[in-house]
Amino acid sequence: MRALVVFLGLRLLRALIALWLVSTVVFVVMRLSGDPTPLLLPPDAPHAEILRLRTELGLDRPLPVQYLAFLASLLRGDFGRSIHFREPAARVVLGYLPATLELGLAAFLLASLIALPVGLLSAVRRNTWIDHVVMTGALVGQAAPTFFLGIVFILVLSLQAGLLPTSGRGEWRHLVLPALTLGAFAMASIARLTRSAVLEVLRADYIRTARAKGVPEALVVIKHTLRNAALPIVTITALQFGTLLGGAVVTETVFSWPGMGRLAVQSIYNRDYPVVQCAVFLSALVFIVLNFCVDLLYGLLDPRARPR
Amino acid sequence: MSSMTRRRLLERSLALGAAAVLPGVLAGKAVAQTSRRDLTVAQGGDVAKLDPHFSTSSNDIRVSFNIFDNLTSRHPDGKLYPGLATEWKRTAPTTWTFKLRRGVKWHNGDPFTSADAKFSIERTYDPTVKTLVSTALATIDRIEAPDPSSLVIVTKQPDPLLPARLAFYGGQIVPRKYLETVGADAFNAKPVGTGPVRFVSWVKDDKLVLEANADYWGGKTNVDRVVFRAIPDTAPRIAALLKGEVDIITQLPPDHLERVTGNPGTTAKGALYAGLYVLAVNSKRPPLDNPLVKQALSLGIDRATLVKELWRGRGIVPNSMIAKGDNHYDASLPPFVYNPGEARERLKRAGYRNEEIIIEVAEGYLAVTKPASEAIASMLSEIGVNAKVEVIEYSVRAQRIREKAFKGLWWSDPTSTLGDPDGMFWRLLGPGGPQDYWRHPRFDELGQAARFSVDEKFRGEAYREMTKIFLEHLPWIPIVQPYEDYGLQKFVDWTPNPNQQFEVRRFNLKLQRG
Repeated sequence: MRALVVFLGLRLLRALIALWLVSTVVFVVMRLSGDPTPLLLPPDAPHAEILRLRTELGLDRPLPVQYLAFLASLLRGDFGRSIHFREPAARVVLGYLPATLELGLAAFLLASLIALPVGLLSAVRRNTWIDHVVMTGALVGQAAPTFFLGIVFILVLSLQAGLLPTSGRGEWRHLVLPALTLGAFAMASIARLTRSAVLEVLRADYIRTARAKGVPEALVVIKHTLRNAALPIVTITALQFGTLLGGAVVTETVFSWPGMGRLAVQSIYNRDYPVVQCAVFLSALVFIVLNFCVDLLYGLLDPRARPR
Repeated sequence: MSSMTRRRLLERSLALGAAAVLPGVLAGKAVAQTSRRDLTVAQGGDVAKLDPHFSTSSNDIRVSFNIFDNLTSRHPDGKLYPGLATEWKRTAPTTWTFKLRRGVKWHNGDPFTSADAKFSIERTYDPTVKTLVSTALATIDRIEAPDPSSLVIVTKQPDPLLPARLAFYGGQIVPRKYLETVGADAFNAKPVGTGPVRFVSWVKDDKLVLEANADYWGGKTNVDRVVFRAIPDTAPRIAALLKGEVDIITQLPPDHLERVTGNPGTTAKGALYAGLYVLAVNSKRPPLDNPLVKQALSLGIDRATLVKELWRGRGIVPNSMIAKGDNHYDASLPPFVYNPGEARERLKRAGYRNEEIIIEVAEGYLAVTKPASEAIASMLSEIGVNAKVEVIEYSVRAQRIREKAFKGLWWSDPTSTLGDPDGMFWRLLGPGGPQDYWRHPRFDELGQAARFSVDEKFRGEAYREMTKIFLEHLPWIPIVQPYEDYGLQKFVDWTPNPNQQFEVRRFNLKLQRG
């Protein structure tokens, strides 16, 4: 019990340090990237106007002062006001969260529900036509750039076949193409890794033993192989999940999906420091939480990984 | 030449591939339809602000000129018509008197009066409000509202263009009572105007829904709702039009025109842009401080070929710094000529010594300007100029504007905000203006006099003389006056406005669905 508390405490500390480092890096990089004021004023704005706006936004203060103020408000959960939208940055970012979660979850479910069984099948039926088809598909899924896949999907499935809407967010039909496009890379990665992890285990001594004992092949795969192959699969699946949830700029742009990826990129172009800081913070948080869950899962799946 | 990344190469090949695939795809396509009484518009970016005094971007003004009315209104034919003001006249050299429309109601039911107009115009340049249109109406000294339907505006000096200024951005009239009650942020989130459509809802980066104002003084517009969607990529925006998911798309690039016109249900419509695409010049930087060098650059650019090949014929070659369609445009002047022999000659006379001349072009800012920059650089190298293209990010461009730090030539798209040279070249190239990189005493004297003269004959002569000076010194190298094209369903009867307003009032919009 005490070991568990120490373990959790250490993880929490590491998570906080990671969040602090991420926030600091974003803070510094954004300020290196340039000044937002020219983008907020008309090109013929007088110089005094620019100075006034810089003062109003607090950009005229020395960088260390700005940084301390930033940290202080961060501790209060305040990311400041969006320079572009003129409302609290957290409210702006959270406004984009439902669409991001919807697309991320759909892409993730689509990817993992297809990739896991397919990867497994491909390993079990190694070097058969099934394996070749799956691995070729996975290669395409990993190699094809997202904007290309997206536009091909729009042309073929939407314009030609007329099955699904071309873009936008609305009912479930709007979700299919973006989820497929976004999930393609994750699907391919998970399928490939599942295949190799399962193959690795299938070569192990204990599998030979199980087979020698006369255990039915289905049971060998499900009971003896899957559980032992699970660690790398869980890891990559969770990481892919994090990536999918972090927003997907290209997919969101192609399908005009109102998600966080586009918001973050637009905000970088607009030099909207508070929104970028909030969006990156949120993404980092998602990764940290997922990593934490993976660590806990490790313990469940593999007794050797439990804290002692 | 700019370097080409792998992604960009892929994007290009993709665009080519899509263009090749589409015609075949269209044969068997299924057509969706938007709701019968709705107009759905897809533009290249989302609305940023609904408060009309906090934005001048084209995505925003397409919306704000319809939620709000101005005192005067510039129709797609380029002429000035009554808006919230029914008539106006100059009653003294510096005084304009406006008669306001009676019985107009705000979308929340409050009556519109001269107090709203006074408040609204004063708000634009009120330093405590910090609007983005603080210079638009800066010629005004004070405003009086003697009774609910009269407005008297006194300008600092005679201002012949005040009614024109009031028709464009900054001139949208906002409600005093509502704004003072709810505050600026709530007003931006839920704007109230007098215009033909009222605000219903807005999901950022997704869609903005507006509904027809049944009590509109100009008559209820011919649709029940107007929906603005943001579809940033060109290919999906066109796909949405071809599939019938949207009724009008903005920013249809010339090289995609045929995909829209070749489809049975859709067509394209354009308006000659009220403005020019120019290569602005940093005339302070040698060798661009030498007029002969600038003349050589201008002579070395084959504009007719650029217009034909890159703009696919959707543009005209300009003849000066005044856009066709504006007051005092001189149709008798010949378009800029291409004469590489003479260009080489002038370079020699200028003593040009192969100094590097940089063309800066912003990524994704103006259609066609990137390939055009590359074509121009190669035309210039033909005449012996060491030209180089540099691609910059939009925000870097904004920074360069502010710091007046462009390296040589850069693309600019001066808009004619008033239908008059004063609102275009003089606004930008005048002393202290955003593109003030070159001064000439006589040019400055004439520009200042023309701004404040109410004598159109004098103004015409002044602009003629300024044109001569301009053509010798070329603070801009004008390249093209392009058409701005829109794709639309054939059942949409609508005319685009040259100055990027997007008119949905009854007189300009009709749906004729079968």
